[in-house]
Amino acid sequence: MLLKFPIVLTASAAVAVVALTCAQAHDESKYPDWGGQWRRPAGINNQWDPTKPWGQEGAPLIPEYQAIYEANLKDQLEGGQGTDPTYTCIPDGMPRAMNVIFPMEIVILPETTYIMIEYFSMLRRIYTDGRDFPVDDGTLASFIGYSIGKWVDTDGDGRYDELLVETRFMKNPRSFDASGIPLHEDAETIVKERIYQNKDKPDVLYDEVTTIDHALTRPWTVTKNYNRERNPRWFELVCAENNEYIKIGEETYMRSPDGRLKPSKKGQKPPDLSLFDTRNDAAKK
Amino acid sequence: MLYRSSSVAIALAMALLLTPLPGAQAHDESKFPDWSGQWRRVEGGAPRYDHSKPYGRGQEPPLTREYRLIHEASLADQADGGQGLYRTSARCIPMGMPWQMYGLFPIEFVFTANTTLVLSEIMTSQPRRIYTDGRDWPEDQEPLFTGYSIGKWIDQDGDGKYDVLEIETRNMKVPRIYDQSGIPFHEDGQGIIKERIYLDKADPNILHNEMTTTDNALTRPWTVTRNYRREKKVIWTENNCVEGNDNIAIGKEDYLLSPDGYLMPVKKGQSPPDLRYFNQVQK
Repeated sequence: MLLKFPIVLTASAAVAVVALTCAQAHDESKYPDWGGQWRRPAGINNQWDPTKPWGQEGAPLIPEYQAIYEANLKDQLEGGQGTDPTYTCIPDGMPRAMNVIFPMEIVILPETTYIMIEYFSMLRRIYTDGRDFPVDDGTLASFIGYSIGKWVDTDGDGRYDELLVETRFMKNPRSFDASGIPLHEDAETIVKERIYQNKDKPDVLYDEVTTIDHALTRPWTVTKNYNRERNPRWFELVCAENNEYIKIGEETYMRSPDGRLKPSKKGQKPPDLSLFDTRNDAAKK
Repeated sequence: MLYRSSSVAIALAMALLLTPLPGAQAHDESKFPDWSGQWRRVEGGAPRYDHSKPYGRGQEPPLTREYRLIHEASLADQADGGQGLYRTSARCIPMGMPWQMYGLFPIEFVFTANTTLVLSEIMTSQPRRIYTDGRDWPEDQEPLFTGYSIGKWIDQDGDGKYDVLEIETRNMKVPRIYDQSGIPFHEDGQGIIKERIYLDKADPNILHNEMTTTDNALTRPWTVTRNYRREKKVIWTENNCVEGNDNIAIGKEDYLLSPDGYLMPVKKGQSPPDLRYFNQVQK
């Protein structure tokens, strides 16, 4: 068998087409100082609404998706993964990426604001060059979505202080957080954000995130906040490096510390090994 | 090797020009070259470290005897259907340096006042932060697959504009390999990579990266020049490795997932995984 090229397997890769434009001169004095490393506040876990306890966030889900969410919580209690798809090490996607479980860096250039998040190497390109959303030819969808932003000078002091962002073309599977709050399977989510600094505490950044999704009864607005580390140390969080979960077909198993396959739930059946020629093993024994 | 002169006199004259411009924290774009857009490898064919040589043994890496044997074993395993030393990438572990500068998938350069970022489309390549703020090596940085990179912008021709980025990268995490055939780095993680990145003087849509690796698995520094072409139409994809990856690693063994979701061997006669923990559950 020839080499496998997982990095080439991009059948479902999201594609964003970007027109190459001439570089605009970058007048840094017009932009806010969002340099450094941004972290979620201490005590906030992988929950969408940081003001409420994990799993009790009161997501305004329609009944169908509330039932899905409840079933997911039950499955998680039994050792399953429920509707949290990231155990296989697929990216969080939007809006969950802005939970910023691991640190975030924001780099502002005139045409693009880059948001880099340590986890899964998630990279958001927020285009601020005045473009419109492209027409989706079926190849645009990505977990992180396609983001267009606009800088706003809210207090008229000649310096931008807010970045308004709209994100579309996100693909599934995604959930809001690790508790598995689901997004609609139609993947028509739209996420609107308003990112701004605390006027008195420049080391605090807010992201007011409004999610519009058919799994919700109404737009759901949550405000995230991040604290700045001015002398950051960057590290690499590689999900696949120590991932104990294995998905085989529709079943999720685990790797034991001694390198063997083990069930993730009580009474789980082992995987079908019919594609192995076990006659040799019997002979060996 | 591009832009290298054998003349000592010319080398000395050039050395006088290789003076960093005075560092300024504010980012003066006019001093920097235009490396905007998206860059991909120029050369096609099987992914290999030195594009000027054939894949596998044909790369002729200057490996020590011990590490040549390790590379041979990797090639033999691959010939058998296994992954060889490529198994880490098959498991979606980051490629790390210098492989992540290969350019099979596009890369982007982003300049800020203190850092040059190299962003890769393939999500198993972490962003490279190349610090150009004059800092020294940290003493307590944990090893990274990307390593820790310090860069210096050079105005080589004295026209007041930088044209070469010189980078040194240290503290890279192991295990790492150079390419798909599994050319190995030394397990001591002491490798150092020096790069010189510059635009082609005749074609501003071609970028060169002259990479010299010093590593205890090598008998001498190994220099390879990678070339990238600027894409006219920029298409960014989200390549996350995990999605669609049919490689399954259990313990030290690699298996495959069949299209219909069954676990299958990668090699003829490969034993299935040990299911003793399931047997215990079923008792």
